[in-house]
Amino acid sequence: MEWNFLAVLRDFDLLMLGLVNTLKVTGLALLFGVPLGLALALSRLSTFRILSGIAGFIVEFFRTTPPLVQLFWFFFALPILIDVRMTPLIAAVVTFSIQSSAFFAEIFRGGILSIDKGQWEGAKAIGMTYGQCQRRIILPQAIKRMIPAFMERSIELLKTTTLVSTVAYTDLMFQANELAQKTFRPLEVYTIVAAIYFVLIFLFSQLSIAIEHRLAKSGEGTVR
Amino acid sequence: MAHNWDFATILQNWPVLWVGIKGTVFIFVITVILGLGGGLIVGVARYSKSPVVSWPARAFVEVFRNTPVLVQIIWFYYAFPILTGIETDPFLAAVLGISLNTMAFSAEIYRAGIQSINRAQWEAGKAIGMSYNQTLRRIILPVAVKRVLPALTNRGIEVFKMSTLASVVGYVETLNQAKLISDLNFNPIESYTAVAVIFFVVLYPVVQGTYVLERMLRKGD
Repeated sequence: MEWNFLAVLRDFDLLMLGLVNTLKVTGLALLFGVPLGLALALSRLSTFRILSGIAGFIVEFFRTTPPLVQLFWFFFALPILIDVRMTPLIAAVVTFSIQSSAFFAEIFRGGILSIDKGQWEGAKAIGMTYGQCQRRIILPQAIKRMIPAFMERSIELLKTTTLVSTVAYTDLMFQANELAQKTFRPLEVYTIVAAIYFVLIFLFSQLSIAIEHRLAKSGEGTVR
Repeated sequence: MAHNWDFATILQNWPVLWVGIKGTVFIFVITVILGLGGGLIVGVARYSKSPVVSWPARAFVEVFRNTPVLVQIIWFYYAFPILTGIETDPFLAAVLGISLNTMAFSAEIYRAGIQSINRAQWEAGKAIGMSYNQTLRRIILPVAVKRVLPALTNRGIEVFKMSTLASVVGYVETLNQAKLISDLNFNPIESYTAVAVIFFVVLYPVVQGTYVLERMLRKGD
C-alpha cells in the first residue's frame, strides 16, 4: 500500500469548511451551555427543594445518558413531539448545549461550594442580599478556580461534536466521510482529519495547562 | 403536544431491543477490562524514569486523548485495514477505538495516583531491600489504585456511554436496535426515550455509588 495525499489535498477546502462548522457548533453550544449550566448550578444549590430537585434530575439525566442517544432524541423524536422543523444544526446545538450545561453545572457547583462560608457571612454582615453576594463576592472567586475544569470540559465538547456527522451536519467528521467516499482514499483522509483534530485539541489543552500553572502561581487553588 | 405515548410497541419489540442490550453489555465488558487494565501498564510506563519507556507511553496518551473517540473508531474501521491488511469488523474497530481511548485516559489517572504517594514510601521499600518493581507492585500501586478508584469508576461510566458510538460503524447494540425498531414502527419518540431511560436507570445508581465511594475514601485517608 502507498500513501497518497494528493487527492486529499486537492479537496482540502472541503475539510476546512467542515472544521469551521465544527467550531461553529462548539461555539454555539458553549454560548448557550455555560449560562444554562450556571442556572442549573444555582438552582441545584437553592434551598427551595422542588427547584433543586428538578435541577438535580436534569443534571444527572444528561450526565448519565449517552450524547449520541440525546442527539437522536432531539433530532428524530422532538420534532414529532412538539411539531417543529428540526435541522441537523439546531438539533446539534440544542443537544450539546444541554448536555454540556449538565457538566458545566457541576463545575459551577464545585466552584461555588469551594468558597469559604466566611465569605457569605462577611457579605451578609455588610448588608448584601443573596444575589449581590453571589455576583460580587462568590462567583468572581469561584469562576477563577473553575477555569481549568471549564477548559477541559470545553475540549470534551469539541470532541463530542463529531457525533453531529451521524445526523448529516457538515462538520469535519462528516466532510471526512464524504471525501473518503469520493476519493477512495480513506486511509489518507481519516489520518489527516485525525491530525487536524489532534493539532486543534492539543493546542487547546496546552493552553489550558499553561493557564492552570499561572493560576497555581498566583496562589489560587483549582477545582475539578 | 397531543402525542399519544405508546410504549406497548417497545414491549412487543423487546426481543429486538434485548439483542442490542446484550451487545452493549458485551462490548462494555471487553472495552472496560482492556481499557482500565491496559491503562495501568501505560500509566506505569509513563511514570518510568527511563525515557525509552516513558516517551512512547506519553506519545500514545497524547494521541489518543487529543483526538475524538469517534474519529478513532472510524479510523480503525476504514483506514487501519488498508494500512495493515488486517480486516476489522464493526466490533473489532469499536473495541480498538474505545479500549485504546480509555487506556490513554486511565493511564493519566493511574499516573496521578502513583505521583500522589509520598516519596518516603519508595524509600521505605528500598530500605528493606525491595527492587523498584517490588516496591511498585506491593507498596505503591495498592494505595495508588485505591485513591483513584472514584476517577476510574467515572471512566467506566464514560466507557458505558461510549459503547453507543459502536452503532456508527454498524455494531449491533442498544441504540442500533432502537433505531431499527423506530424505522420499522415509526415510533422514534418511544424508541429513543426507552434507550435514554435504560442508560439512566443503569448509570444513575453507579454515579450515586461513586459519591459514596469518594466520601468513604476521604474518611479512610
